[in-house]
Amino acid sequence: MSDRRPLLAMQQVTQAYSLPRTALFSPPGSFTVLDSIDFDVCAGEAVGLVGESGAGKTTLTRILTGMERPQSGQVMFDGTDIWAAGPAARANFRRSVQMVLQNPRSSLDPRMRVGTALLEPMRSLRIEGDHVKRLHEVLDQVGLDSSALERFPHEFSGGQLQRIAIARALMPNPRVLVADEPVSALDVSIQAQVLNLLKDLVRDLNLGLVFIAHDLSVVAYTTSRVSVIAAGRIVEVGQPVELFTRPSAPQTKNLVDAVLTVESGLSGAAL
Amino acid sequence: MTTAPAIEVKNLIVGYEDLNAVRGVSFSVPAGGRMGLVGESGSGKSMTALALMGLLPSGWQARGEVLHDGVNLVTQSDKALSSRRGKTISMVFQDPMSSLNPVRRVGDQIADVIHRHSDVSRREAMRQAIDLMVQMNLPRPEQLARSYPHQISGGQKQRIMIAMALACYPQLIIADEPTTALDVTVQKQVLRLLNAATRERNSALLMITHDLPVIAAMCDTVAVMYAGRIVEYGPVQEVFRNPRHHYTRGLLDSQPTMDNIALDGTSRLVSIPGMVPPLQRLPSGCAFHPRCPAATDKCRAEMPELAANGAACWHPVGATAAVEA
Amino acid sequence: MTAVSTSETPAKPKRRRRRNLTLTIGIVVTIAFVVMALASFFYLPHNPNVPRIPDRLLPAGAPGYLLGTDALGRDIFSQLMVGARTSLMVGAGGALISLIVGTIAGLSAAAFGRIADETISRGADIMLSIPGMVTALVLAATIGSGALTTILALSAFFTPSFTRVIRSAALSVLQEDFITAARLYARPTWFILLRHVLPNVAGVMIVQFTLYFAAGILTEAGLSYLGVGVTRPSISWGMMLNEAQQQVGISSPLAMWPGLAIVIVVLGLNLLGDGLRDVLDPKLARRT
Ligand SMILES: Nc1ncnc2c1ncn2[C@@H]1O[C@H](COP(=O)(O)OP(=O)(O)OP(=O)(O)O)[C@@H](O)[C@H]1O
Ligand SMILES: Nc1ncnc2c1ncn2[C@@H]1O[C@H](COP(=O)(O)OP(=O)(O)O)[C@@H](O)[C@H]1O
Ligand code: SF4
Ligand SMILES: [Mg+2]
Ligand SMILES: [Mg+2]
Repeated sequence: MSDRRPLLAMQQVTQAYSLPRTALFSPPGSFTVLDSIDFDVCAGEAVGLVGESGAGKTTLTRILTGMERPQSGQVMFDGTDIWAAGPAARANFRRSVQMVLQNPRSSLDPRMRVGTALLEPMRSLRIEGDHVKRLHEVLDQVGLDSSALERFPHEFSGGQLQRIAIARALMPNPRVLVADEPVSALDVSIQAQVLNLLKDLVRDLNLGLVFIAHDLSVVAYTTSRVSVIAAGRIVEVGQPVELFTRPSAPQTKNLVDAVLTVESGLSGAAL
Repeated sequence: MTTAPAIEVKNLIVGYEDLNAVRGVSFSVPAGGRMGLVGESGSGKSMTALALMGLLPSGWQARGEVLHDGVNLVTQSDKALSSRRGKTISMVFQDPMSSLNPVRRVGDQIADVIHRHSDVSRREAMRQAIDLMVQMNLPRPEQLARSYPHQISGGQKQRIMIAMALACYPQLIIADEPTTALDVTVQKQVLRLLNAATRERNSALLMITHDLPVIAAMCDTVAVMYAGRIVEYGPVQEVFRNPRHHYTRGLLDSQPTMDNIALDGTSRLVSIPGMVPPLQRLPSGCAFHPRCPAATDKCRAEMPELAANGAACWHPVGATAAVEA
Repeated sequence: MTAVSTSETPAKPKRRRRRNLTLTIGIVVTIAFVVMALASFFYLPHNPNVPRIPDRLLPAGAPGYLLGTDALGRDIFSQLMVGARTSLMVGAGGALISLIVGTIAGLSAAAFGRIADETISRGADIMLSIPGMVTALVLAATIGSGALTTILALSAFFTPSFTRVIRSAALSVLQEDFITAARLYARPTWFILLRHVLPNVAGVMIVQFTLYFAAGILTEAGLSYLGVGVTRPSISWGMMLNEAQQQVGISSPLAMWPGLAIVIVVLGLNLLGDGLRDVLDPKLARRT
């Protein structure tokens, strides 16, 4: 553990939201979504995050990608605190950390051609260079044909759309990819296409990957280290297969117990 | 004693304009039986369910026979169907949020169903509603009954939907992806409840999902659907342990399981190449042929029918294949 | 009810045909109406305001008078043409102002936080709670009646509903993942509204515009019928109805022509709106 050199890390992050007052003069309550969280990812490493719904996974990714500023704690990228850094370091951070979202249908603007959508991050982040060349490079990486550029999102299947979303995230040449349930909306029969792609990218591009999924075996397949989050706290960290076969925290046990497999179903032991 | 099946579907065709999403489907669920309908999204599962409920979107038409409670539902009037819905046949939808009325208290919504289909007083209907909520393991039922849908969690909403579906002891419950929108831990609780409650009432269950483990846990028989047709049909134990159709085989092989993952991260998951064809471009012959590893010219030319082995396939998977344990 | 057997009839392509028919009728009626209104600027068979007592109450088809004349001998068809102009101006004007104000207010309410939302939504509620007729009468009393007053009254009346519709459409677009993605690239809110939200609510805007256009024509006719709308030398279909009733009683053909014009145009615009809704609704269109 000591020789890890994290590329992107959050240290002692706490985030709370205020709740609407229950009565006119009562003090506004607050709800701690993340409580003193430490979480990090190195280059060329895939780390997983699992937990029940509402545990704080999405909030964690919002803070990790700089979309939300934590109330306390730091987000460190390449050794600098992004919220204390100057504009140049912030810009570097923004293009180096990209995200893939859960629902491929809604993560692309239905009225925008795929080519335009892919160029959005480049324009917005004001990245110089040969964009057309980059477009073709990226399409190649995700295994799509360049005829895709002229088409609209509704002309693609869910699996293809998720590749397009990954292509968009890869455009600015990021060093870390954060994927929040990228295969939950896909059929099992095609989710492997996306998972294998993510795995190849981590290896070939030396990318850091933060991967969230509710299917534990999918997480075990994709990542080499996993954190279990429950009610805003990290309760356990470890090698996924070991962790899921011999869980020690009760919250991890809970998740493992909920897993249904075809085999357990057929043997009548599932419910 | 032989009783009539809870539902018997013969050669059901569902379509709009000249496109058919369901192309000649036949199956039957015995009284109190439990059948699963499985397939990738877009294979026609929901359209089958909606046709059985008489809830097809406008412009869509169903043909064929759907025998239930002594009548053919396909030829029933809307009025006859709607008086039946919730009473002898009821349905649980995937998205509990959009199927509950957002401006009516959940307790009232359950009581409404009871009040509409049986001649009990409003007060008695409410008492039964609370009773049902207790059976659904809902916490603080009296208080929860007075909540609005947006005030309760997804898992609780789905349990309310199940309570509504079960309220009148229907002969058949159709559940279309009832747990897809739920968290895994909540999914298990909801499946347990659905399982116990349908058995207790001897209601038949038609479970629609793309999730094979759910079918394995809940059902006795299974129909595997692809591009609007049933491609394999039989007892769950046989179909899942010894699939004969290459599509079923592919679905089973794509299931990730903890045991086949190498610790060094080198393992690859299997997937079915390509995707479900859109209705406008259905392949000739066996609609699965562009994705099938065993396809031959015969597959491309002629459409196979369900054979005695339960699969609609010209070259069924060899008898040795089995689920990886 | 007898059960009608549908089992033998094959699934017919009914829906699309019906949708196309609706849209076609809507387009034809709307174009005919707009052409008639615009033509009135360049050509009128007769001056619609000059009485010709010898020619009074001629029936339709009388030489020189396509639809006959009214009690003062004024040509009905010419009056209908000028009336179309008024309807177009007032209906489209009222709908357009509400569209612009309502879109800006609706998008702001949806995107700029709770305080903006509360302020705009409560404001809209208050405006909606004032009956439209009251607004119109107050305006007419303060700045005098006329086309401009009617346009203002209509805008005041329609803007809050527009705001609500646009707000809820924008809210549903804003919670889509592609908005999150745009936020991630540090796009500012105004940019997201223009680039992503506006194109995705444009369909709703067009449909609402058509429907309020129709409602505007109907309301204008009502106001003029009550005598608080436009006055001569301007002409409105509602005013023609009023005059016909005062002069000869509502059952005469004099009242029939403006009544028919109102019904046809309002129906046409509604058909257009419904047809466009089907065509533009991405949920219907996106299905394969
Ligand atoms: N802006 C907000 N205001 C108040 N509460 C919030 C806000 N955003 C999130 N929360 C709450 O924080 C908790 C964690 O939310 P989060 O979306 O991170 O969960 P999650 O682990 O991603 O869950 P899921 O698996 O359902 O996606 C939830 O209880 C949620 O209701
Ligand atoms: N309203 C609709 N209009 C046009 N096509 C539709 C509509 N709803 C579903 N379809 C098509 O019908 C087929 C079957 O859909 P469905 O029954 O919803 O599949 P499943 O439930 O198996 O995912 C798909 O090809 C789908 O695209
Ligand atoms: S019929 Fe042919 S194409 Fe179809 S599943 Fe069997 S082998 Fe494959
Ligand atoms: Mg989440
Ligand atoms: Mg479905």
